[in-house]
Formats: sequence, structure tokens, C-alpha cells
Amino acid sequence: MNAIRAIGGILKGMSVTFREMFRPTIVENYPDGAGPYKGARFEPRFRGLHVLQRDESGLEKCVACFLCAAACPSNCIYIEAAENTAERRISGAERYAEVYNIDYNRCIFCGFCVEACPTDAITHGHGFELATFNASNLVYRKEQLLAPMPKEIQSAVQREELRAHAPEMAH
Amino acid sequence: MADVTITIDGNKVTAPAGTLLIEVCKSIGTEVPAFCYYPGLSLQAACRMCLVEIEKMPKMQTACTVPISEGMVVHTTTDKVRQARKSTLEFLLGNHPLDCPVCDAGGECELQDMTFSYGAAESKFMEAKLHRDEQQWSPVVFFDRPRCILCYRCVRVCGEAMDVWALGVQNRGSASIIAPNEGDHLECEECGMCIDICPVGALTSGAYRYKTRPWEMKHVGTTCMHCGDGCKTTLGVRRHETGMQIVRGDNRDKSGINGDFLCIKGRYAFDVTHSDERLTQPLVRHEGRLTPATWEAALELVASTFKRIRDEHGGSAIGVIGSNRTTNEENYLLQKFARVVLGSNNIDHHRTADFPALAAALKNTQVRTAGMRDVFNAKTILLIGNNPTDQHPLLAWQIRNNVRLHKARLFVVNAQDIKLHRQATAFAQVPSGSEAFAAAFLAGNDSVGESVGGDARNALLAMRQALKGAEEAVVIFGSEIRGAQVKAAVNLASALNAKIACLGDYANSRGAADMGLYPDLLPGYAQTSSEIFTGHWGALPEQPGWNIEQMVNAARDGQLRALLCVGSNPVVRYNVDPFVLQKTFLVVNEMFMTETASLATVVLPAACAYEKSGTFTNTMGDLQVVKKAGDLAGTKPDFEIVIEIADRMGFDVRKLVSLGGGTRADMGQSRGAQTGEADRHAVWLEAQNLEPRMTPFDPAAVLDEIQRLVPGYGEASRLNVAAGNDEHTTALEAGQGSATSDPDLVVPSEDTLFTSGTLGRYSNTLHSVIESRRKVPADKKTPV
Amino acid sequence: MADLVSHPDEVKVVSQRFGKGAAAMDRYLELDGYKAVQKALASGPEWIINEMKASNLRGRGGAGFPTGMKWSFVPKESAKPKYVLCNGDESEPGTCKDRLILEHDPHAVIEGVMIAALAVGAKTGFIYIRGEYRYLVDIMRKAIAEAYARGFLGKNIFGSGVDLDVRWHTGAGAYEVGEESALMESLEGKRGIPRIRPPFPAVVGLWGGPTVINNVETLASVPHVILGGGEWYAKLGTPKNGGTRLFCLSGHVQKPGVYELPLGYNLRKMIDDVGGGIWKGHKLKAVVPGGSSVPILKADEIDLAMDFDTLMKAGTFLGSGGVIVLDDHTCIVKFCLRTTKFYQHESCGWCIPCREGTDWMKKTLVRFHAGGGIKRDIDNLNYLAENMLGRTFCPLGDAAAMPVIGMIKKFREEFEAHLEGRPCPFEEHGAAVEQLPVLA
Repeated sequence: MNAIRAIGGILKGMSVTFREMFRPTIVENYPDGAGPYKGARFEPRFRGLHVLQRDESGLEKCVACFLCAAACPSNCIYIEAAENTAERRISGAERYAEVYNIDYNRCIFCGFCVEACPTDAITHGHGFELATFNASNLVYRKEQLLAPMPKEIQSAVQREELRAHAPEMAH
Repeated sequence: MADVTITIDGNKVTAPAGTLLIEVCKSIGTEVPAFCYYPGLSLQAACRMCLVEIEKMPKMQTACTVPISEGMVVHTTTDKVRQARKSTLEFLLGNHPLDCPVCDAGGECELQDMTFSYGAAESKFMEAKLHRDEQQWSPVVFFDRPRCILCYRCVRVCGEAMDVWALGVQNRGSASIIAPNEGDHLECEECGMCIDICPVGALTSGAYRYKTRPWEMKHVGTTCMHCGDGCKTTLGVRRHETGMQIVRGDNRDKSGINGDFLCIKGRYAFDVTHSDERLTQPLVRHEGRLTPATWEAALELVASTFKRIRDEHGGSAIGVIGSNRTTNEENYLLQKFARVVLGSNNIDHHRTADFPALAAALKNTQVRTAGMRDVFNAKTILLIGNNPTDQHPLLAWQIRNNVRLHKARLFVVNAQDIKLHRQATAFAQVPSGSEAFAAAFLAGNDSVGESVGGDARNALLAMRQALKGAEEAVVIFGSEIRGAQVKAAVNLASALNAKIACLGDYANSRGAADMGLYPDLLPGYAQTSSEIFTGHWGALPEQPGWNIEQMVNAARDGQLRALLCVGSNPVVRYNVDPFVLQKTFLVVNEMFMTETASLATVVLPAACAYEKSGTFTNTMGDLQVVKKAGDLAGTKPDFEIVIEIADRMGFDVRKLVSLGGGTRADMGQSRGAQTGEADRHAVWLEAQNLEPRMTPFDPAAVLDEIQRLVPGYGEASRLNVAAGNDEHTTALEAGQGSATSDPDLVVPSEDTLFTSGTLGRYSNTLHSVIESRRKVPADKKTPV
Repeated sequence: MADLVSHPDEVKVVSQRFGKGAAAMDRYLELDGYKAVQKALASGPEWIINEMKASNLRGRGGAGFPTGMKWSFVPKESAKPKYVLCNGDESEPGTCKDRLILEHDPHAVIEGVMIAALAVGAKTGFIYIRGEYRYLVDIMRKAIAEAYARGFLGKNIFGSGVDLDVRWHTGAGAYEVGEESALMESLEGKRGIPRIRPPFPAVVGLWGGPTVINNVETLASVPHVILGGGEWYAKLGTPKNGGTRLFCLSGHVQKPGVYELPLGYNLRKMIDDVGGGIWKGHKLKAVVPGGSSVPILKADEIDLAMDFDTLMKAGTFLGSGGVIVLDDHTCIVKFCLRTTKFYQHESCGWCIPCREGTDWMKKTLVRFHAGGGIKRDIDNLNYLAENMLGRTFCPLGDAAAMPVIGMIKKFREEFEAHLEGRPCPFEEHGAAVEQLPVLA
């Protein structure tokens, strides 16, 4: 009787274990997981490292209106604007940000810049591993913040460039 | 006119009858919005924003066109008025693009402000907005057509105020569009007034376009560094990798002697400050080539060489040439340095008008000098010589608008048919060189009538009649009249009971003259033996020194062993043979590698007038403040350079910059902490055990001494000057009034609207305008 | 050239010489020509102005300002020359009376200008003729030349010692220039844009001089007033509305044309009797009683005396006398669109409400009529029009707004019938509006 009770007890106890084995894991496998965040997962509205978005044709959404810099309570955004030309088009509107720096020494991730952006160009991504041994590494430049060019557009752009240079190559 | 009392929103207001209602409302702080109304320009009533309700009138009335009359009862805050404003904005926003994020005006746009005030943010229409492509009208004027709200301010300011008439309206109805005079581009004075006056971002400046946003800039009110008129200008500065960069020039608060006005140079030619060709490192000639050196090495070399030459050959072996674009304080310091430290009277500058002759002629007369404001308010203006439209744009603006708004009478005597002829009541074209005879003839001296020729004589005779009994007159003459001839102009002014002014060419030409950059004159046109100065400075060299020509000759003979040339280009201005200066130890403080700098033994990179503090005196004698706006790493103001040379020569700089006594100086003016650089002020201060409130690098300390010692400057209110206003100085009539010899050394700059001496050669904007002109064939030019 | 029409009820005063070849000088002289001006010369300015006041003649251009009073405002002494202007820039859709006067009786206009000049002491008169009326310019040029040839104009007219010049000028085809101050700008060689008032033209007008400006019909009536006497003329109409008036009956009536009827003539009678009733046996739907810019009247509202005051009480205006009749096959939305298109095209662009308002009204109406309307559009249109009304620089904005407001108020159900992508209920007849025999 005792043995049966004991086995029953073990089974009862193990049943929780077995049941949990087939349930989805709650514990995250950070930092050994897959993906850019090494297994860490975030709520959609988590405010991490900023991402500068591109539009559907691959152009930068940012038009260098400086509203993010104006809204920033810690004054950590530095922008220099420049004008798009017919030959060199970077953004959809008349001008683009030639320099776009965010100083993460100062950024408090309040999200005001995202609120202020009239073109939805700046968003909070989920990047979070910002620690560094050198504070000057914390000034992120535009190249580090920009969303990557979608693959299909990238290849289309390359084709376009090849075609543009083809006559030169022929010479 | 008699005063009347009206009621605005229940408040009783008394104002002269005939005042425009909108101005009365403004005076009591009642906001009546308007796009097309602009003070000083003709009335339009086109925008309908200023509609207010007036009792006993059936319809709402435009406040910008209604003159007030006794007992008027006005309501500006009723629902009906608010609705009218809101609907007008709705009408405007119907076709106005919503590109505020990329619009230059975003943040300082009147349409934006009013939309915030009165709502109308809701979209009511489904149809597409009218769109037209942006146009470039000139190198400096861009027109974004859909943004235009057709207030016609640009058309009026260009036509009425500038007398250029380059803008007009094409088409009608909703297709109406502002258009330039040459079809697709502008042929005009490129003053940029249209851009400045545009309430929205339709007209944008080529120089400022898309560079930054209004709230990103710091605004520094200073004085323009180009011509001699001394317009107040507000520079918008932004931090930049090389320091503070100037990105915009305008006169944002419409204050100062120029009000709305700035010409192309004031508005755009600040770009010389960040030209690629700026010198940012001292250069020392080493084995025949100018090679970069440290400031310490360069200054040490200069100081030791000056000291050696002074001790071995006497101060008269060293010459100094000053500048027309350095501040009063620097000029004063420079000549004091020459006389006290070097012990030399060999000091001169590029003279563009004969101010000492005027000072001498004014001696023992009742004639007073006119300020720039007097020109706007005088009832009669007599202009002899010069072409202010090109060389003194602000003066031309003042004259034009005085004639237009106050019905002043303008009389012009000139060898050329200048543009101001259009405003003139009478015009007399006299042979070139006979301007002084014309002045004498107008004053009643018939004997010189033959010198001006028959036709001109008749014109002058009529002018003489018309001038009789003239009140509140101003006589203005250019550099055509110089030397002893200036007396004729003064006699004429005396006969007319008029004020007088003489036109010099550069930002501080008058200051250079007032501060004694002459071999035979001390500050205030005092003789070299003047006790005012010997009393304070100790013994001074008594013999008058060499002027520029004599210095060059002395250099040829090997007598001039060293020459300090501060912000001046005598090699070009006086056609100096470059080989003459080979044997001379030539030190040049310059912004650029000019012809003179390229001959130098040592070149010291100088800060320009927008990068330092001090004061300028414009050609009319108005003293104005110069404030530090931009900053270029590596340069030093001439003030600091001179002090450091003197210090390294072993001179007690406390004798050069009198510290203590008089007004306390403002701390940190010459090197603001705003640049984020190490405060050299403080470092120097510490090292020299000086009292913390005054440093030898402080121009204000020198201004203090100027005010004490230079006649005509003492009365100027420091408070007023520091606040950005102008103070008229009277060194010409209040000083000792000694003349200098050699009126032939006066070399006018002959600048046009698009050139600015040596400095203008380094402005990309001025270049691009000149280039764009060249593309137009000469036969297609419209006559002015 | 249009055929002349007539009706027994007509009282021919201004139109008495129509069709009689009076454009020729000799014929005009036979028909009592240039007698009025001689009488005026003999009687002096004060007498002329008193006669004009007695005649109760009100301006025929549209606003109906008493002519005698207008002339009396001109200062007697003036440093700058005084002028008389004849406004022949007749552009209001539905109005075509000045054209007939200029064609059939140009000398009457010249004579009217001369009398006005004598009354106010002007030495120069201008007759400004609409740009589209090219052929009338030739007639007027010839008439003026003849008057000069006879010594009626120029130095020492009729041997009286008085000098008087009359010149013609032609516009370039802008409706806006029909506005008096815009006409002056145009005459001075500038863009035809109205001026700010005050000062009024009677004080500061053409080239800064005091100026009298009157409509062609007004000035053509003047010789008749002078010859017949002010009292006689006043009795022709109703009290305060002296004389007769040329009514331009157009639209869907049997006999459209220009009829001279006494002021106060019944509108229903005008349509049914004078105009011969509605064409093709259709029914009356609406009437625009004073040129396209005045509010519309519904069929049951037209029992009105056609004079300035009665129509004002009825919420509309006598305007320029262009009576446009619409039958029940007409789509009011399309009519509204057509009217708005005209004003959008003619808006000068000077002030914001008119420039932008007409444009958006047109855009909305084009879509609305094509079946793309939504319910909010009707209120939107009304909102646009109401915010233009009374807030524009010149009356053109009002002219564009009033018809729209009137039509939406009185025919809202017809607008609603166009909603939600339904095609125009009148589409098969929609062409009728385009074919309106508008004479202008």
C-alpha cells in the first residue's frame, strides 16, 4: 500500500513535470537563442534602439525635419540636412538627413522622437545590448540606425546601377 | 491729425485720426491677423484675414484699410470674426501643400501660427491640391509655387520699396502665380527682401535652403561686415565640426537703422566665414615656402623680430597697415601698438574717403554730421557723387523710402545717370571730377559755373533755386570730393543749414579713420603731438610717419625692415610691385591667402568680424555693436594677436589695454564659452594674476578708453550700443579736425552690389550671382 | 447681329431708335440726335443734375445707385482732371442689353457721356467696350469719328466754347473689369483688379482724378431724360424706380430677346406674355431675375414687380436685368456647376475667399454632378459659399456665392438626388443647360 502510495505520489509529482515538458517554454534561452536578439523576446511596444525606416521603394523616410531633435528632452539627436538631387535621391521628400546621430549616452528612451516624427521615419526597435567600454561608441550614426534595404529592392538597385554603368564598361 | 477715441472690444483707445485700425489694434495688443498687410507698403486688403466687425457697417471690414474715426466701435473677437479667420485659413490650406516638415519656414511660418490660433485643421475636400514644380529663379531665390498664398508682399517690397519691380502676377483666379521678370528667372538686385518678407515658405533662400530649422539656430544680432552702411544683421548659427557655423543672415527683428532692409551681401555673403579657403593655421616662410607652424612659434618669431628691428633700427623701420573691416577697438589698439610699443608713426590704411578733410572743413562751422536715421527723416536730400544703389544699398533704401513715404525731395548731382535719378526731384549730370564745383555753385559761387559746362550749369541753377529755403536738409557726398574740395560741400551744407555725410566704402572705414589709422593723425583727428594722448600713453613719436606709398618706397630702399599688415591687401589696392616687399619682414593677419599674404614671411590666420566682438562705426558715424556669432577653430581675432605680440615683445599689456577704471567690461566677449573650447581668457587671466573682471583680451576695455579719449565717442550710450541699437558719434566735428596730406591716396573700392573688396572674392554666393549674370547676353539685359 | 423682338407692352425710350439705322450720324440727327446735349449746354450743370435727380434714374449696371446723386458727389473744384467713364464691359451671363444699344444707337451713348461730362465739369470721356464685342468697337469708333467731324466733340463744341473729348477703349476679356474700379485699372493699363474703397471714384478715380462711371444703358437714357424732363421719365416707372429698363429675357422661353419695359413690370407676365411662355410645352422651374449672379427664384415665387426694392424684399436682386428662365427639364446642379464654372474662370485671384472658394466649389460640383458626391458635399458647398459671401474684396465673390446658396436652399432635394453615385436624374436632358440660348 505504502509502495503504491509512494509510486502514486511520484507519478503525481512527475505529472506536473511531464505536463510542463509539452507546454511552450516560458523561460527564454537568452543569450543562446536564435535571431538577432539571441533568443530575447519583447513586447511590441518595447522601446529599444531606434530604427530609421525606409519606404516601400527603399528610400529613407526621414526628411530631416528636426522635429525629433526638437522633441528630445535630453537633446541627444543631431541632424544635418541636405537636399536631394535628381541624380542622388536619398529620401522621398525634398531633403534628407545627411547626418543623423543619436547619442545613447544621453537618450532616455522616452519615445518622444517617435511621437514627433511626421513621416514615421524613426521608430523604436528592440535592440537593447548597448553596453560598451567606450562612451564614444554610444554615439550611433545614421548608418547604424537605418533599417536594411529590402533584398528585392537592393538587387533591383544594383541591376539599375549595372545598367547605368554598362555603356561605360563597353568603352 | 487730431486724436480720436474709438472702442476696440470694449476698450477705449485714443489715436490720431486716420491711423489704420490694424495699427491701433496692434498698439493695444489686440491681435488682428493679416498676411497681405505690411507696414510701409501699399494697402492690399487681399488676404481678408483682418476682417473685423465695426458697428454701423453692414459688412465686416478689413482692419488694414479702415482709417479710424471718432466713435468707431470695433469688435475683433466675435464668433463671426473668428469664423471669418478660420474660413480664410481653410481656403488657403485647400491648396497649400502639407510639407511643413521639409519647409524652410516651418517653425516661423505665419500661416502655421495662424492655423494653430484659429484651427481649420480639418480637411474638407477630396480633390487633389493644385501642384506646380519648384523653380529656381536665381542663385539665391527659389520659389516653391504651391506654397504661395498670394499676399503680394514680395511684389510690393520689390517694386515699391526696392524700386526693382522684378516680380509680378501671372494668370488669374486660382491659377494666379507670382512670376519673375525674365520669364523663368530673376534679373534683379538679388537683395532677398522677397524671401525675407514671405509669410510662408514659398520664397526660399539658396543659401539657407534645407540647411536647418529655425529653432535649431542661435541668433546673434551683429553688424554686417561688408559695406560702410552698417546694417544690423541677425546671424543664425549652428554648431558644426569646425566650430559654430553661420547658416543664415537676415534682420529677424527688423530693428536697427536698416529695419527690414538687407542687401545681398548682408543676407548671403556671410559664407566667406566658412569658405574652404579660410586660413586656419599660422604659416611661416621656411626655405622660401610658407609652411604651417604653431601659434606660439609664429608669434614668437614675429615678436622677436619686431623687437630686434625696433631696438636696432628704431621704430621708424617698422610699418603697420590697418584694416577697414576690423573693429574700432582693434583699430585703436593697432595704432596704439604701433605708436607706443613699436614707437612708429608709420601707420596707414586703405582710405576710401577723405574723412580727415571733412573733419578739417567742419572745424569752426555749425554744420553737424548726419546719421543713417537722419537720411530717412530729412525733408531734403542732396546727393553729390557716388552711386548708393550699388555701393551703399542701405543709404539708397533710406533715400528711396523717405521719398516714397515722407515725400522728401531728393536732388542728385552725379557724373553718371544713377538709378536714384528715378526718385529725384531734380537731377544734374555734371562732368566727372567737377562734383566739388557743382557743390560750390549750388552754394552760390557763380565763378565756378563754367567748370561744370552749360547744360549742367542750367540744371544746377534750377536746383539752386529749388533748394532755397530747404528745411531739415542732408548733404551727402562721395569720395569724388576730397582734400581741400571738401570745404565746398561743407559750405553748401552750411548755406542750406543742412547736416552732412561723407561716404566711405567698407564696414569700418569710418572707424579706421576715427581711430587714427593715419601716419599724421591720432584718434579723433588729433595731431601726433596731441596732449590728450601723450598724457595717457606717455611719449609718442612726434614726426608724422610714412603713408602707404612712402612705406612702399621705403621698403624698396630697404629702410622699411618690417611691415605688419592687418586685414588689408595693399598689393592689389595700391598696385604695389611684389618684389619691393622681398626684403621686408612682412607679417600678414588675414582670413585668406591674398596677394599680400602670399608675399608674407609670417601669415597669421585671423578671425573675421562675425567671429569676434567689438564695435563698428558706419560711414555716417553710427556706432554699433559687433557680436561674435560664428567660430572657426584655429583662428584668433586681430585684437588677441596684437596683444600677444606686444606681450611677447616684453611690453606690459596693461598699458595697452587699460584695465580698471571706467566701465566694467563684459566678461568673455572675445572668446565665448559657447564654442565649447577651452576658455583662453581664463587661462591667460590665471597666468597673469589679473583681476577676473577685466582681461587684456577684452575689447570692451579698449572701447572704454576710446570713449574717454576720442572726442565724439564719449557721449554714445554704452547701454544702447550693447543692446544692439545705434548711437551717432561725432568724431568729425567734435575732434581736433586736423587734415591729412595726400588726398590722392583715397582709392574708392568701386564695389558693385555683388562685390565686396577682397573679401567678396571668397563668397560663393556672390560668385554664383555674378556667374549667372554672365550667361545672359548683354543685348538682352533690361536697362535699369 | 441679333434679330430685334418687340411686344406691345414695351415702352420704347432707350430702345426707340433700335432698328432705325441710328448708328449713322444723319439718321441719328433726324431722330432728335444731339439735341439733348445742346439743351444741357444751354441749361448748365446744376440744372442737369437736378433733372437727373428728379428722374429717379437708377444705375442700370446692377447696383441701382441713383445716377443724379452719383454725379452730385463729384467735387466742383479739382486739381486733377475729371473724367466720365462709360462702362460697356457687359459680361454678366444672361445680360445683353448694352450690346444692342452700342450697336443700334452708339450716338446716344456718346451724347450721354457728353451730358455727364458737362454736368460734372469733365473734359474727357471714355467709352470702355467689352473685349469680346469687337464689332461694336468698329461701330463706336466710326460714331466718335463722325461726332468729331461735325464738331460735336473736340474743341469748342457746338460753338459753346467748351472743349470735350470722348475716346473709346476695349477690354481684353475679363468679367472682373466690369467692376468700376477694376475697369479704371484696366484703362490705366494695369491688371484689371479692383481698388480699395474709399476713396470712391467720384473723389479719386481714373489717374487719381474725380470720375463718374456709369453703365451704357444709364448713359443712353440720359439724353431722353434731358429732352423729356426728369419728371416725365420718373413717371414711366414706379416711385423711386424711375423710367424703363431693358430686360434681357433668355433661357427656355418661346421668344427670348431684349424688351424695354417699365420698371415694376410683373415677372410672371414677362415670362408668360412677353416671352411667350415656356418652350416646348414644358413647365417653369425657376427664374434667375437679374443676371447669373443673383439668387434664384422658384416657379411659385415669381409674382413680383420687377423693380429694385421689390426684388430685394424677395431675397434677390434686379441686377443687370438679365432674366434667365429655366424649364423643368433643367438640372439645377448642372446649372449651379455651369454658373460656378463661369465665376471660377473669371475670378481675378486677388483675394483669398473668391480665388480659392470658387475653385473648390467648381471642383466639388464637377465631381458631385458626375455622381461622385457625398452627403457632406452639399453642406460643404454651402459652407464655402457662405464664407465667401460678404468677405471678398469685390462683389465677384458675392456674385459667385449667392446663386449657390440660393440653389442649395431652394433645390436641396435635387442636390440630394445626385448623391451616392446615382447619375444625374436629368442626364438625358442634361444637355439642355449647355444649349441655353444665353445671348451674352
